[in-house]
Amino acid sequence: MLKRQNILTITVIALIAVAMVVMELLVGSFPTDIFRFPINILCIALWLALLGIVYKQRTTSYVARFMLSSHAVWLSFALVAIVGIFLGLEREPSSDSWPVVAAILFILSHLVLITLRGWSNAQGVRWRFVLLHLGLILALGAGFWGAPDREQLRIAVDTKPSDEAYTMEGKMRLLDYTLRLEDYDVRYDDSGVPQHYEAIVDVDGRRESIRVNHPYNRSWQEKIYLINFGRSSSGDVYCILEIVREPWQWLSTAGIVMLIAGALGMFLRGPRRGVNDKTTCRP
Amino acid sequence: MMLGWNIFPIIAAVVLLLAVAGAVVALIRRERSTLAVWCMGASVAAMLTFVVMLWLTLERPPLRTMGETRLWYSLFLLMAGLFTYMRWHYRWIMSFSTLLAGVFILINILKPEIHDQSLMPALESIWFIPHVSVYMFSYALLGCATLLSIVALVRRRCDLNSAIERLLYGGISFLSIGMLTGALWAKEAWGAYWSWDAKEAWAAVTWGLYLLALHLAPTTKGRSVAYHIIVILGFLALQMCWYGVNYLPSAAESIHTYNS
Repeated sequence: MLKRQNILTITVIALIAVAMVVMELLVGSFPTDIFRFPINILCIALWLALLGIVYKQRTTSYVARFMLSSHAVWLSFALVAIVGIFLGLEREPSSDSWPVVAAILFILSHLVLITLRGWSNAQGVRWRFVLLHLGLILALGAGFWGAPDREQLRIAVDTKPSDEAYTMEGKMRLLDYTLRLEDYDVRYDDSGVPQHYEAIVDVDGRRESIRVNHPYNRSWQEKIYLINFGRSSSGDVYCILEIVREPWQWLSTAGIVMLIAGALGMFLRGPRRGVNDKTTCRP
Repeated sequence: MMLGWNIFPIIAAVVLLLAVAGAVVALIRRERSTLAVWCMGASVAAMLTFVVMLWLTLERPPLRTMGETRLWYSLFLLMAGLFTYMRWHYRWIMSFSTLLAGVFILINILKPEIHDQSLMPALESIWFIPHVSVYMFSYALLGCATLLSIVALVRRRCDLNSAIERLLYGGISFLSIGMLTGALWAKEAWGAYWSWDAKEAWAAVTWGLYLLALHLAPTTKGRSVAYHIIVILGFLALQMCWYGVNYLPSAAESIHTYNS
C-alpha cells in the first residue's frame, strides 16, 4: 500500500507535468530570451537561496526530505531517459519546451541539494562524489542558465568585406568586425566524398585559417566555424561561416573535465565496498 | 604487410575457433583453466593483430563505418569476457561473450559496409579515436553486465549482483567518458556541446537508465529484479543509440551520419 504522502507526491509531480504540457500547448516554447544576462544571474541567486532554505529544513520539511531521497534520484534519471526518448523521436528537437525545462530544473535542484549533503560526511570530503555531482551541475547548469546568452549567427563571406550575419530565425545582425574570404582549399576524393575543407578568412585585418574541427577563437566567448562553401550566380565562390557566442562555455568545459575525472575515479576505485557484496537478497 | 577486408573471413575463423575452444574448456573445467585463458588470449591477440594491420593498411583508424565499429566491439567483447572469467571465474561468461562477438563478426562477413581509405574532414579530430574506442569498450563491458543480468533474472539469482555492479561501474565510467569527450568534440566541430540530435538524445536515454541502475542498490529481491530489468533496458537503449537511430525518421536530420 502506498503511503498517503507518497500518493500526494505522485499527484503533485503528475500535476506539474500536465501543467507544463498545457503551457507548451497554450503559449508555445519556453520564453528563453527573457532570461538573458543579467536576469539569469538574478534567477540563479534566487534559486540557490531557495535551495539553501530547503536544505536547512532537511529534517523537518517533507519537500526537502523528498528532494534528498532515493525517490528523487530515480525520478531524476527517469526524467533524463524520458526527455531523451521525447527529443530522440523528434525530427527537429528543441530543449526549449516547458516539460524539458521543468525536468532539467528539477534535476539541477536535486543535484545541488545532494551535493550540499554529500560535500562532506563523517569520513571527510568524498572527492569522487563531489567531482561527479559538481561537474554535472556545472555542465548541465551552464547549458541551462547560459542558453539565453548563447548566440548563433551565420554569414556568407566572399571576397568583399562583410559584416551582415543572420540569426537562425533569419533576423539580420551587424557584426562589430568584418569578414572576407581570401582563399579556400576544397578537395574531394574520386567518389565525391570531401577530403579537405579549409577557408582562409580575413577577420578584421587578420588572416586566419578556418577548417572543420578547427574553428577560429576570436575571443574568450566567440568562435567562428566553417560550415560550407557555395558558388554565387556570377560564379564567385563564397563560404558560409557560423559565429557562436557562448559566454558560459568555460563553465561547461570545467564541468565536463570534472565529470571525466570523476568517471576515471569511478573506474579506478570501483563500487563502494559492502553495498552489494551479499550473495543473497532479502525477500 | 598490407591486408584488407578480403582476408577477414580467414582471420574471423581463427578468432572464433580459438574463442570457442577457450569457452568450451572454461565450461568443462570446474577450476579456473589456464588453457581456456590462453585460448581466449590468443583469440583476442589474433583479432587485435587484424585491427592493427587494417589500421596500417587503411592509413586511418578503422572507426568510421558501422562495420569497423563492430570489429572493435567484437574485440572488446572477447576481452571483457576473458577479463570477467579471470576476475570472477564465471565458467559460462566466455561462451556468451564468444556468441555475441561471433554474431557481430558474422554480420561483418555477410553484410560488409563500405570500406575505403578516406576519412571525411568532420572525423579528422584528436577526439575521434578516444571517443569511439572508449565507447566500444564500454559497450563490451555493459554487454557482459547484460548477459549476467539475464542469467540472474531467469534463474532468480542474487549472487551475480556484485559482478554486475563492478562491470556496470567500468562500463558506465567509459560510457560517460565517451559521451563527454563527444561533447567536447561537438563544441569544436559544430559549436555546441549538446544539441539533442537523435544520437545524442538516445545517448542520454542510455546514460539515464544505467545511472538509474547504478543508484538502485539491489538489496531486496524486488529491487534486484528491477535492477536487472533496468540493466537490460539500458542495453536495449544502447543498441538504439549505436545503430537503431539510423532507422528512425529523426535520423534524416542527424549530424552523426558518416557512413553514407
